[in-house]
Amino acid sequence: MLKTEELQINIGPQHPSTHGVFRMLVTVDGETIIDLKPVFGYLHRNHEQIAEQNTYLQNMPYTDRLDYFNSMANNQAYAMAVEKLVGIEVPERAEYIRVLMVELTRILNHAGALGFLINDMGMWQTQLAFGMREREKILDLFESASGARLMCNYFRFGGVARDLPPDFMPRLKDLLRAMPAFVDEMERLLRDNEILMQRAEGIGILPPDLALAYSVTGPVLRGSGIAYDVRKAEPYSIYDRFDFDVPIGTVGDVYDRFLVRVEEMRQSKRIIEQVLEQLPDAQGGHINPKARQNVRPPVGDVYARIESPKGELGFYLVSDGSTKPYRYKIRAPSFINLTPLGDMCRGYKVADVVVILGSIDIVMGEVDR
Amino acid sequence: MYDMLYNLINVVFGFNWPTWLISLIGHAAVAAILFAVAPFQMLFLTYYERRAIARMQDRVGPNRVGPEGIFQPIADGVKMFTKEDIVPKAADRWVHLIAPCVVVAPTMFMFAVVPWGPGMVPVDLNVGLLFFFAISSISAVGLMMAGWASNNKFALLGAMRSVAQMVSYEIPAILSLLAIVMITGTLSIVSIIDAQAGLFINSVDLPGVPDWGLGWFIFTPVGFLAFFCFFIAALAEGERTPFDIPEADSEIVAGYMTEYSGMKFGLFYLAQYVLNFLLCGMTAIIFFGGWQGPGVNWLYSQAISPANPEGMWLFNVLAGVLGVFYFLAKTYFFFFVMIWIRGAYPRLRVDQLMDFGWKFLIPLTLVNMLSAAIWVGLTRWGAAEGLAFIEGWSAGVRWGVAFALTLIINLATYIMMARIYAASQAARSRLELEELRDLAAMSR
Repeated sequence: MLKTEELQINIGPQHPSTHGVFRMLVTVDGETIIDLKPVFGYLHRNHEQIAEQNTYLQNMPYTDRLDYFNSMANNQAYAMAVEKLVGIEVPERAEYIRVLMVELTRILNHAGALGFLINDMGMWQTQLAFGMREREKILDLFESASGARLMCNYFRFGGVARDLPPDFMPRLKDLLRAMPAFVDEMERLLRDNEILMQRAEGIGILPPDLALAYSVTGPVLRGSGIAYDVRKAEPYSIYDRFDFDVPIGTVGDVYDRFLVRVEEMRQSKRIIEQVLEQLPDAQGGHINPKARQNVRPPVGDVYARIESPKGELGFYLVSDGSTKPYRYKIRAPSFINLTPLGDMCRGYKVADVVVILGSIDIVMGEVDR
Repeated sequence: MYDMLYNLINVVFGFNWPTWLISLIGHAAVAAILFAVAPFQMLFLTYYERRAIARMQDRVGPNRVGPEGIFQPIADGVKMFTKEDIVPKAADRWVHLIAPCVVVAPTMFMFAVVPWGPGMVPVDLNVGLLFFFAISSISAVGLMMAGWASNNKFALLGAMRSVAQMVSYEIPAILSLLAIVMITGTLSIVSIIDAQAGLFINSVDLPGVPDWGLGWFIFTPVGFLAFFCFFIAALAEGERTPFDIPEADSEIVAGYMTEYSGMKFGLFYLAQYVLNFLLCGMTAIIFFGGWQGPGVNWLYSQAISPANPEGMWLFNVLAGVLGVFYFLAKTYFFFFVMIWIRGAYPRLRVDQLMDFGWKFLIPLTLVNMLSAAIWVGLTRWGAAEGLAFIEGWSAGVRWGVAFALTLIINLATYIMMARIYAASQAARSRLELEELRDLAAMSR
């Protein structure tokens, strides 16, 4: 082939489809990607350092701002870490409410992420609008339970801030009844759409060994065919009581990641249905009445992790016996899933970069903390 | 236009003005109307597109300015005029300034040969079709100028993509039109519309059956296939989804328009909508009879025309109104199809676009030209051309044989091409997959 001059392009930090202020230093030969270097840090806001100046409870609303799509999941990971450090018991009912909220968050996140992915392919917002419509319904539920739609700040050490309002359950049942149609529609859209298939199949392949080497987690790892899910691998909370499957892909392309997310929405719905069955018999209230909120944990360190919608979200806390954490470290799934981007994009076209980036599903608030 | 004015002024009103004055008035009037029509079409189309796509996306769309937001385009126009005109420091100032003009001017020229109704064509060029497509490809030069002068990498990428796309999709567009040109034997747009009178194709007009104006080429196998190829190519030329690659907002920001603001950007916008309108109009004209439709020809036969100087002028108006209505209804329908596709499909990648154009559309249109040749031979030729055995067939039989034969050829080719193309695509992605795995292994 004819050798032509290579061109360096900065995609970002201000670009319509980098999902925030993220920069990709791309070297292209014509339209083909030769090299891609992800550059992040534009949204760095000193999250971890600030957290070390606050008391443990004061940090709870800060975790909302990490991955602003999934504030409930962030809350749970942080609450679990502190509970483990102090040794607080969580009542059964509170655990059920937590699982319910986090699984709703997973549906919400995937509906939005798939909408954004298809929007990046150029289907000018149609699917995004439909995804957002589903998301709104769930946000309404969050609002009725926690008082906020995005920054929920709902979890407390030993439970959740408030019990579910009386009209929550009927509304949730309505939502679940309407959901399968939406998920089927989402899946049909990809399977029946010739152009979408051409844009997704065989694009952005992440081989399983490479995925493991980069310690990628979440739907991206499962898309590469490795059935690793923290909910199954190390069941936390009460996940051992539920019956659900871990969907996996085959080659690890954009198409697989899409299908894994679609299937995860179905599995989340299954979990929520089981929660609805078991919740009325659950013991205890929405919070452990003996749990103090201004905790002073003993000296020591702890790591707690959950399966957030984007992957393994972990909080590492070190306590020096005071009311403030000595060290507060987050293992953010978006950040780690983003690192193999260069390897995933090399050899594809410029147009594929945004699709591959969209299929990783990142939130910059979590990448740059 | 000249004849109509002459008849109106000198025959009906009896002013007896000199012919040069009438000619001058005619040209001035046409130019004025055209320059007013193009921006108004664009204003209406932006509103139409935004409302239609909002319905598909579960929204309302613009609805604040005026009743149902009908004045939104005017508000947008005012905004465009009052915006600051920014020229990048490193840009080539003059080329940056001229590029929008080079893009807009050809689209305005193209209006010159578009017939709006019976006898309502600004210039009836005998090579109208050639003029239309020759002029339309000039705007590719303007796009490249815009991309190069902006001194922006996204703009340059967008410009390169748009030129590559325009050049490769003009071939299937013109080849599919050539099939129609072979059947009609003319490049004049007016004659192509006239050939679509009658019931089906005009060679079998039955005696005693009124002229319904439904002899559209879409009803023939040749025209049907040509229509699909042409409309797909028109989507690519007008840079509409799924071929809006040159300005893919999620990849290269706004393509060649990235560094333009204010009215310069507005001009690009104008050119694009006008071009899309014209391409939709051309689809309506070539394959759906343009202004032809039930009633127009009858009304026109009663009106004042060179052939019938004693007609009623009222029928001129009625025929014109009905003809323009048919033409615009068809055109807006095709524009709606474009919006529809935009709301429902993602865009192709640039290499997939090229594959589709060169490996699928062009072979298909070439076979379609063969079909057109067979059609012409079977319906027109006889002993003089060496086809003595069909000399005795009646017009109906000739038409039937031609229809069946071209249908079989086109259908078989389409099925075969679709299979070959699908197989080659699959093989291609397999090959790439292996290559990429090797590449990934090497980099580690």
